[in-house]
Amino acid sequence: MSILSSLNYLQDLPIAITVIDLNFKIKNQSSAWLKEFPNDFNSSSISFLEYHSIPQQVKVEVLKMTESQQITPIELEVKNHLNSWYRWKLSPSFSSENNFSGIIIIAKNITEERRERELLKKAEQVAQIGAWELDLISNKLFWTDITRIIHEVPEDYTPTLEKGINFYKAGHHRETITAIVSDSIATGDTWDTELIIITANNTEKWVRARGETEIIDGKCVRVYGTFQDIHEQKLKDIAYTRLAERLKIATKTAKIGIWEYNYTNKNLFWSDEMFDLYKIQKADFDGHKSFWDQSLHPEDREFCMQKVKEAFELKKDLEVEFRIILPNGKIRNIKSVAYTEVDIFGDAKKLVGANWDVTELIYTQLQLTKSEESMQQAFENSSVGMALIGLEGNWIDVNSSLCTSVGYSREEMIQKKIIEVTHPHDWTKDSHFIKKMHEGKLTNYTIEKRFFHKDGTIVNALLTVTTVHKVNGKLSHFIAQVIDVTAMIASENKTKSLLEITKHQNESLLNFAHIVSHNLRSHSTNLSMLTNFLKEETDNGEKVNLERMLSDASESLSETVHHLNEVVHITTNTQENLSNVNLFDSIKRVEKNILALLKEKNASCNILVEKDVIIKAVPAYLDSILLNLFTNSVKYSSQERNLEIHIKNKITNNQVTLHFSDNGQGIDLKRHGEKLFGMYKTFHNHKDAKGIGLFITKNQVEAMNGSITVHSTVNKGTTFVLTFEKA
Amino acid sequence: MIEYVENACVIDDDPISVFGLKKTIKETKFCKEIIVYENGYEAINGLKDLLNTNSNIPPIIFLDLNMPIMDGWDFLEDFIKIPEENRKNVRIYIISSSVDPRDLIKAKSYSAVNNFFVKPVTTNDLQKVIDEISQ
Repeated sequence: MSILSSLNYLQDLPIAITVIDLNFKIKNQSSAWLKEFPNDFNSSSISFLEYHSIPQQVKVEVLKMTESQQITPIELEVKNHLNSWYRWKLSPSFSSENNFSGIIIIAKNITEERRERELLKKAEQVAQIGAWELDLISNKLFWTDITRIIHEVPEDYTPTLEKGINFYKAGHHRETITAIVSDSIATGDTWDTELIIITANNTEKWVRARGETEIIDGKCVRVYGTFQDIHEQKLKDIAYTRLAERLKIATKTAKIGIWEYNYTNKNLFWSDEMFDLYKIQKADFDGHKSFWDQSLHPEDREFCMQKVKEAFELKKDLEVEFRIILPNGKIRNIKSVAYTEVDIFGDAKKLVGANWDVTELIYTQLQLTKSEESMQQAFENSSVGMALIGLEGNWIDVNSSLCTSVGYSREEMIQKKIIEVTHPHDWTKDSHFIKKMHEGKLTNYTIEKRFFHKDGTIVNALLTVTTVHKVNGKLSHFIAQVIDVTAMIASENKTKSLLEITKHQNESLLNFAHIVSHNLRSHSTNLSMLTNFLKEETDNGEKVNLERMLSDASESLSETVHHLNEVVHITTNTQENLSNVNLFDSIKRVEKNILALLKEKNASCNILVEKDVIIKAVPAYLDSILLNLFTNSVKYSSQERNLEIHIKNKITNNQVTLHFSDNGQGIDLKRHGEKLFGMYKTFHNHKDAKGIGLFITKNQVEAMNGSITVHSTVNKGTTFVLTFEKA
Repeated sequence: MIEYVENACVIDDDPISVFGLKKTIKETKFCKEIIVYENGYEAINGLKDLLNTNSNIPPIIFLDLNMPIMDGWDFLEDFIKIPEENRKNVRIYIISSSVDPRDLIKAKSYSAVNNFFVKPVTTNDLQKVIDEISQ
């Protein structure tokens, strides 16, 4: 039996094949079939339809084929319930009589193949890479889904070669693709290009088109390739290129050299600027690290090697400054900054960095340090007090000279605010100028100012403040120079007081000259005149008269001399006789002494002097002064009204002021003001000795470091204002 | 005996000085009558009284500087306020014991002051006055 033999032969076929009869019984099967579709029925006659692992679709086709006795074989790819894909081939079998006797079924497991295809499709979707194929025989163009999506055309869109080309942007892009495609058809060359298309939605898009050709008998029959949307990436690329270009210009302008060093193969890449920096011809560069090593200053070489090694070993960034020796022998200082590139295994492979020349910078820094040092020296050793003052009015630094002036240590000083060591009266002045400086209206000022020494005493100083600006023009801080003039002022004050004394004494002398010229001379004149008359007088009666006058004149002279002596005594012997005297008690005592006189005038005294005011005075002088004021008030009281005397005091700083007022005749100060306290001829043989009282009073008051002034209105009254030193 | 002027005025608070001056005037027979005021205040009031009774102010005034109440300078200030026609023939001579040159300079600043004599006033001084008024 040929069939049988052929059937037996079938068993050994390396494909899954089975033959069924019209009743779907398995007539024969290959061992490969059994392997694919194991038979677990344990029955000799198995129906094909009973296999669970055979998809229903195949069974349906088998039924159809049997029923219609169809003779054309069919092929179909179906997945079974186990998710295995098979390519089924159903061919009719015929009996020796050429009758339709059954179906030969071949099942090829294409699961792997299918999976690959599906993966490919998925990959296409995921990568957004489309594909296309141009059949040059049928002239048909085929696009995959992704290709359609990229062109933004509907799923059922049918492309043609012409349409496809026209999607490319008119001009350069369309011309390029046309040239490439026709060239490749002619030569069979592959291509890979990036061009712009205008999609169906009129959007510009960068695409990458790759193409390959299929050549049969030297003739291109098919062109196919991939199609990829690279728009985003391309834009990034363009932006990156632009950025890189800019960076390149920047580094070139800034003379920053870029380098890259591959640690594994010791290869070195240098940008053009590096050659400029190292003054080396690009042609002489061998791309090996040793090239760099040779440029280094021998003293810096080892240190640099160490740094580079560290960067790789510790995978840290590199920052190093070193010297290089140029071919012309000159030394330059280079700063290098680099970062370590780490590969996916975490190993440092590459260093990428930059070099630039810092020679000038270092030189400038050196200069700066030098000038800072000398400034510091000047600051510290200046005999003038100096300070750096912050914008908040704090001391940043003070020198020892200033510390000495105010008695604080540097540490104590810096803790203090400026206002704390400034005399409150001078702070407004100071802050006024500081404010102006803040406003930019002033760059320096000099004022006299008082500081407080640590021990509370006042330090007089000449302060000069200057502004210091930052590079950006904003205020940085102030520099203050403080010249301590305390000693100077003290000596000036001493000089002033000496001058005052001298002036005073000069005035006294002048007064004396005046007194001598008027008062003493008038007496001497009288004496000499009378003596002459007496010599020539013959009449005895007249002689007696002249002698009487002569006696009067000599008495007046002696009185004047007595007064002058008193004044001299006052001005010379007062200071050592000053003692603490209660002002109120003194007034009351004097009032009591002349009570009778006051009563006679019906006078009233209103004494509003604080009872505990103690002044520095010579008690006898004070009594004399008060007595003179009282008697003056009585003597020059008004005829029209009863005398009223008001006495009150004020205390200011270290002075006591006494106001002694009456409601008497008053005095025309315009006329007599300047003479009121003068010594006049009036005190000769007048019984009241007018004119000496206020003169003595003034001398006594001034001898006790006080003063006396007068206010008066004619017919209203007079007020004497006296000052005394407070005890 | 004919005196050079009818009367003269002495303004001085020092009686000895006045005594001396009077004596000297008598010796020179300078004038018949001497009016004495003890200070400037008395003098200016006295002179004004004379004018009020239509009498003439004495043509010669000897004026001391240092006096109580109103001194010679103050008198001068008030005197120059008297209308010009009432005092145009009046000559004022300062008599002072002061040898202070400042007093001399100040005295010369008054046009009404004719001369400055340092006390005591002598017959020579009066002769100068006589010479001046005789011209």
